[in-house]
Amino acid sequence: MVAAVFHPLGIFIVALGTAFLTPLLFRKREGFASLIFMLALAAMATIAAAGFLALANGAPTIEIETAGIAPPFAINLRFGLYESFFVFAVNLAALLAAWHYLPRLRKHAATLLLFIIMVMGIDGMVMTRDLFNLFIFIEITSIATYTLIGFEREAGMLSAGFKYIIATSIASAFFLLGTIFVYYQTGTLNIDDIIAHQSAIGGPIGFVALLLLLTSLLIELKPYPANGWGLDVYETAPSAIASMISVGVSAGVIFALYKVQPLFGDFLTSIAVVGGITFLASNVIGLRQNNVKRLLGYSSIGQMGLMVLAMALLQQHGQHTHLALIVGGLFLNHLLAKAGLFWLAGVVQRDTVRGWAGVAGKPLLLLVLGVCLAALIGLPPFPGFWAKWGLVMELAVDNLYGWIALVLVGSLLEAAYLFRWFGHALRADDSEPVNVGVAPLLPPAAAAALLAVAGYFTARSAGVVPGQLLLPVYAAGALFLLDGLPGRLKSLAMLAVVAGGGFWVAGDLQGLNRIFALILVAGGLLMAVATLYRGDARKGFYPLLAALLLSLATLLTAHTSLEFFTSWELMTLSSYLLVTLGRDGVKPALSYLLFSLGSAFLILAGFAVAFAATGSIELAALGNAGDSVPLVFSLLALGFVIKAGAFGFHIWLPGAYTEADDDTTAILSAVMSKASIFGLVIVAGQLGVRADIGLEPAYVLGWIGMLTATFGALMAVFQEDFKRLLAYSSMGQLGYIVAGIALMSHLGWVAALYMTVNHFLYKGVLFLAAAGVIYRTNTRLMYQMGGLIKNMPVTFVAVMMAIIAMSGVPPLTGFGGKWLLFNAMMDKGWYWLAAVGFFSSAVAFLYMFRILQTVFLGQRKLAHKDLREAPLILLVPQVVMLVIILVLSAYPKLLLDPLSAAVAPYVPGALLWDGLALQSHLGYWNAPMIMIIVGGVWAIPLIFLLLVSLTIKIQPVKQFNIVYAAERPHRPEDTHYAYRFFAHYERAIGVLVKPHATAFWSAVSEWSHTLAASLRILYTGNGQTYVLFILVYFVALYFANTGTV
Amino acid sequence: MTGLPVSTYVLSTGLALILIGLWGLLMQKNIIRMIIGFSLVDTGIHMVMIAIGYVTGGTAPIIDSAVPIKDAATRVVDPVPSALVLTAIVIGLGVTAVMLSYAVNIYREKKSLSIDDCSESKW
Repeated sequence: MVAAVFHPLGIFIVALGTAFLTPLLFRKREGFASLIFMLALAAMATIAAAGFLALANGAPTIEIETAGIAPPFAINLRFGLYESFFVFAVNLAALLAAWHYLPRLRKHAATLLLFIIMVMGIDGMVMTRDLFNLFIFIEITSIATYTLIGFEREAGMLSAGFKYIIATSIASAFFLLGTIFVYYQTGTLNIDDIIAHQSAIGGPIGFVALLLLLTSLLIELKPYPANGWGLDVYETAPSAIASMISVGVSAGVIFALYKVQPLFGDFLTSIAVVGGITFLASNVIGLRQNNVKRLLGYSSIGQMGLMVLAMALLQQHGQHTHLALIVGGLFLNHLLAKAGLFWLAGVVQRDTVRGWAGVAGKPLLLLVLGVCLAALIGLPPFPGFWAKWGLVMELAVDNLYGWIALVLVGSLLEAAYLFRWFGHALRADDSEPVNVGVAPLLPPAAAAALLAVAGYFTARSAGVVPGQLLLPVYAAGALFLLDGLPGRLKSLAMLAVVAGGGFWVAGDLQGLNRIFALILVAGGLLMAVATLYRGDARKGFYPLLAALLLSLATLLTAHTSLEFFTSWELMTLSSYLLVTLGRDGVKPALSYLLFSLGSAFLILAGFAVAFAATGSIELAALGNAGDSVPLVFSLLALGFVIKAGAFGFHIWLPGAYTEADDDTTAILSAVMSKASIFGLVIVAGQLGVRADIGLEPAYVLGWIGMLTATFGALMAVFQEDFKRLLAYSSMGQLGYIVAGIALMSHLGWVAALYMTVNHFLYKGVLFLAAAGVIYRTNTRLMYQMGGLIKNMPVTFVAVMMAIIAMSGVPPLTGFGGKWLLFNAMMDKGWYWLAAVGFFSSAVAFLYMFRILQTVFLGQRKLAHKDLREAPLILLVPQVVMLVIILVLSAYPKLLLDPLSAAVAPYVPGALLWDGLALQSHLGYWNAPMIMIIVGGVWAIPLIFLLLVSLTIKIQPVKQFNIVYAAERPHRPEDTHYAYRFFAHYERAIGVLVKPHATAFWSAVSEWSHTLAASLRILYTGNGQTYVLFILVYFVALYFANTGTV
Repeated sequence: MTGLPVSTYVLSTGLALILIGLWGLLMQKNIIRMIIGFSLVDTGIHMVMIAIGYVTGGTAPIIDSAVPIKDAATRVVDPVPSALVLTAIVIGLGVTAVMLSYAVNIYREKKSLSIDDCSESKW
């Protein structure tokens, strides 16, 4: 009985019955008709869902025979696992689309009827096993779609609709001709029967027949360049209809292609090329698109191209087992995300991406938008992430590296234009705010929620245990629900979640991971305490911060490259969103995201190559990659150093660090940047040392590190913005650490980790101190400060000690780092690198003392007379870190011994101690002794000066003691003595700090836009041109394949 | 009757109609003429289908005393393409009707039937 109720044939019965009833009911009661309509769609989705669940639990495939005669003599339909999955997904999307569009749909009986017929047509395309019947269902769907596109009778819709009809009619004509020729040769229309008698299809007629069928299905999927008509419809049609064309009709066609693909064995390369060109071209052209719905059109077409590509390549290489997860995951991901975005576009009703500034500050809307966009570009935890991971891994196994590059480049381009749109939505401007109630947002919100659920299940079928791994997502979700609470309460909740979660995840780590857990998790928590200093609501901030810190914890526990990469991408996503929350953070956040994704894709490629070589995704197996080791190491190391802000790829860094909120920056620089160091250490430990790849990549890495250190320091010297200076300083200091890891020696690694800990400590102090100063003075420009020592003595002392710890002069921790690093470099014989290191350390000192002098010394601005010390809660973490710095300065053994023990498994060796003095063949370092000597050296002049001040009258220089001999300052900045402090150096070495890298990346962006402009020139808007493209497309496919059959 | 079988004439006429129809779709600016072009393609395809099912000298596919069942395969015309053509005609009719209603509405909105005036969206 239950089986009868949920029989898949019920889908057709319900659809046709409702379609016939609707006009009758509509005449009596409109409301009742639309109720029945919605119930019918719900029933269709339910039947499909029940079927899918049963089949997923092992029920047998349902074969539906018609006319009481077995195939091939009568039409049959099949409802197997894949079919039920597609039908369920499409019917669910249709139900939500109808909900979204009901206010318009319910106005006419015809639209209700056509909508339900369209859905039934798609279901039929998926289920039928008869070639001619497939044609019928394509046509049923098409006719319903044609009418729905044009029923609002607006000029643009009519034009686009007519072009769409002409184009798809030609595609259908091709299909019909192909079908009849196939019938002519095989004597059957049953797809299974045709496949069984494939050998009968041959000669010129068979070749043309297959080509006609293939062209038809590909054209329906809108391949570049024969797809202008599809884009026009996406742009103009009502959102609900556009969404159904994008996710529903395409689903039917792609399943049809899957069904008949066994016939196209010789064409698989062509199919993959078609998909690849479409994916790449759509995403390039999307860069120049400003109309939201046309933008979604480009993305839809691109995603279809990706699915076609994946399907063809996986079948070509016999990877049938992975097809379900990869293509199914991509399909479901695109279905929910794209439909949700189209519906949002329908709700918001703003044509251009700029107009979306009107949605800024609307949490639910932005959440839904963000979820759909993140899903679309394949970020975790959504299904597309797991599918893309699987795709890249399998492509690597088949040595299809060019295809991997294509997929990743295309995805990066897609991220660029989708997140540019998101950026506009985040940033309020003078455009009119969008007024939307909650009700219209429910369908897209449902799509977003389903994406999350689907992501969970896809993760499980990808073989991941999503308990701990997705903790950042759960935590962010839970905290997001509390987002209405007052700021400090949310801050405390966030701290509790991070502390509990962090301890649960990373509490029992050992060795190297434990060291990093102390920096990333415990250190991150300490820095997060500072977020209590601002009491305002900071919408979205606390959930994202919790996600970031917990993703760092899960990163440390990763055993497989998939777990590592998942945490890595969660870190990227949450930190990107955190940067967007800054005052002018949206624009720099986009460049941060793109560089982060670029680096993540390199890492993904590296893992894929390793997987292909070892057959394992265990991180511990990386070292077994054999001949691939240099490639794997280069890809992974490049990925990690880009994320660390390496020279040449650093242009995202100053903007992101400067414009993020001040406490966010402290966490990004002091804590999160160490994640790339962790990655580098793990990778170098597995590959660089164990497998003995020779020195070349490591030596290059050393130079990258040192050049980064030098240019970071040089650029920091010329900054006027407090945070920008510290940002460049971070870049430079990470360069030393990278160089230390590149040494691949025990001492080098101890130096690198020592500097890592140290950088966390002093950069944390500096950024928090900067946060305090900026909080009080409301400016980041140092020439607007000055003389703050009187107002903020604790901050001054903190900054001074941090700077000494950074600079590498005795007695504080920085000295030890430099001493270890240079010793290790001498050991290795890298003299040139050491020389550059000396030079950059000297340069670094220029910007460091300038902070003290410009901000805290000199004359105080009148306006700053009554400023108070930084908030206590900001000072607490600083003081804690200063105490640690002091202890470690006096007893470095406390830190060095655990570090040495932690790196020993990777780079064997030990430190030589003589009492409290560390020995090297160049000398020894006795930290406690140095502490005493330096104390003494400083005490003598101090006593002298104190005595002098008692005997001589000192006259302080007052604000107006400035003498300009017959000159006057032209700009207010000129009255500050430290403005353009190093202008004289700029004349000498300014050429080195010209923004060459920025210019290069701007040029890359410009080239892409020019390319987009020249690629889209084909879209003239003329219907006849589009017809010509379709015919030429057929001819091109013909000539491309004449040799193959 | 001498020379080529009748199905060859039907086939070549059908293919010629398809080409003429495509020419119409590509070269005629008037939307109504484009629709006529589409109809010609459609009709051409139908003729090709019929031609493919034809068996030279065959009779109607009715199995009775005139055509014993054992000879059916060689003596009767293949009925399947004819059945398909019937369905295809119905579909073609539907599509043509939708196209014509588009033409009416386009004319109403734009006071023009030129396809060149239907290029609002591009790039």
